[in-house]
Amino acid sequence: MVDLDNYEYETISTHVGDTGDFISIDNEKCNNCGRCLVICIKNLWKKKDGKIYIVPEYKSKCVECGSCALVCEPGAIDFSYPAGGTGVVYLKG
Amino acid sequence: MKEYDIIIVGAGPGGSMTAKVAAEKGLKTIFFERGRKPGEKNSSGTGLGPRMFRDFPEIMRQLTPDKCPSMREGKYQRSYFVDKDDKVGAILVTTPTNSMTYSPGKNTYDPSKYDKFITMNCYRSEFDPWLAEFATNAGAELKTSTLIKGLFKEEGKFAGVIDEKGEKYKAPMIIGADGAISTVAKSSGLRDKWHSEHITVVPQYDFHAPKENIEKVMGEETLAVWWGVNFPAAYQAFFNDGFHIGLGNWMTYWQHNPMYYVNRVINVPHMKNLIKRLDAKPREVQSHLLPWLPYPKNTHCDNVILIGDAGGFPCPLEAEGMYPAMVTGKVAAEVAVEAISAEDYSKAFLSQYDERWEHTSVGKEFEDGDVLWNVWKQLPFHATNMQWFVPLMTEIISAFFCWSEPHVVRIRQMLSAIKSMLPEAMPTLLEDVVPVLIRVLGDKLDTMLDPGQMMTAIPKLLNMLPDKKKKRRGA
Repeated sequence: MVDLDNYEYETISTHVGDTGDFISIDNEKCNNCGRCLVICIKNLWKKKDGKIYIVPEYKSKCVECGSCALVCEPGAIDFSYPAGGTGVVYLKG
Repeated sequence: MKEYDIIIVGAGPGGSMTAKVAAEKGLKTIFFERGRKPGEKNSSGTGLGPRMFRDFPEIMRQLTPDKCPSMREGKYQRSYFVDKDDKVGAILVTTPTNSMTYSPGKNTYDPSKYDKFITMNCYRSEFDPWLAEFATNAGAELKTSTLIKGLFKEEGKFAGVIDEKGEKYKAPMIIGADGAISTVAKSSGLRDKWHSEHITVVPQYDFHAPKENIEKVMGEETLAVWWGVNFPAAYQAFFNDGFHIGLGNWMTYWQHNPMYYVNRVINVPHMKNLIKRLDAKPREVQSHLLPWLPYPKNTHCDNVILIGDAGGFPCPLEAEGMYPAMVTGKVAAEVAVEAISAEDYSKAFLSQYDERWEHTSVGKEFEDGDVLWNVWKQLPFHATNMQWFVPLMTEIISAFFCWSEPHVVRIRQMLSAIKSMLPEAMPTLLEDVVPVLIRVLGDKLDTMLDPGQMMTAIPKLLNMLPDKKKKRRGA
């Protein structure tokens, strides 16, 4: 069974095409609360030297739920969807 | 620049319904989908209730397993009550009773099979493209792989939408059917960001299980809710060859990663055993945002109407989303037809939209949205309250079927356990649960609490109490 804290494994979700950049953070606005690190089911947000960033490979991993932007109180995270026809594809949603 | 009568952003169930009705009524209609086809971006609990078949018979009657192979209906729903040690203390199985008056049977392809059921489940990857075809068959143009970036104005009025390549599409009526993170809502100024207790995030697993195991193990059961102390209430919806297990809560809830809570559910020993019997394997991890409001506000402005999730229409009690999206989509299309014929796209004219959806089954639900939304917030979504709610329910359900002591003794034990929980439970019961009862009972409550009736009933009740009897007889 899946470990409580270490749940990452291969699934059938695929990612297609070149999404372009669709998530960004404005570190000037960010208050380092760390809510984005907790909410992302794919653990794509990290903190290094007191600065929060999204991992560069997020474009091929993000499931486009948008919770990082919604949970961000100061509105530092900008989320828009990837280019049409690209990004996550759910086969059994 | 291409011109239309109506532009619909989004080709989920709400967008497709709007496009279908608009095209049937002769409007030049286009609807946009950011995925390569409808449904490939969506995850959902995906339970379709009987009302879908009552309100959209012309569509639902045509839903057959060759079109949606995953579809699976069921008569039984199961509630598991899971205590703080992840032990299932009680299980409650329910099925439509004789007081359920509407049977969807006649509106399904197989009335004998689909007489009365709790839900019919099927994957969005099958349902959404199937539904979109009704719209394209009616003459609506579907443009896939296209992301709408915003609205544009002409002479101070919203005049259409712009896609990611900068191409403009013009129409006097624009419908936002683009889900929880709605570009149309944002770009029109109707909503910048959801209030943190009006939006939930819903992580879920899809598990695969061999069809024959689903049939053998689940029988006619199609839906389960796991009411837990250690996680927000989790739903489990069974499909033809697998199931979804997921849960949700406000953005403010999560002390751990949302998947931590889903993983707690699938690690409940009882669940592990079920998974083993089904020989089920996790197949896909999904997550989506789900608006959850006491009442939808700011649903329209000049030239723009929001429907479904974009408008905040999921059910205030348990956030069913596809049905309200289709109902509001249909209403929005009808209002758009009238706006176009009157050539009046003002907010004042479009306020008919609110008047009309308020008179649908969705509107009826929202009449009591405040108390329904609140009771869910205070119980299944409330980590502390579930610490007494789950044991309370477990005691009530379990004590009657127990042969450890004489039944009367056992029931006294149960009542005593409940009494010990009351100090913790009373504030929520009085402030959050009683208002729901008052709303449900309405005028009947007056009759029930009528002093005259109570005065006749109370002496009878008192006479039944042995101690009181003795006292009054002077014993």
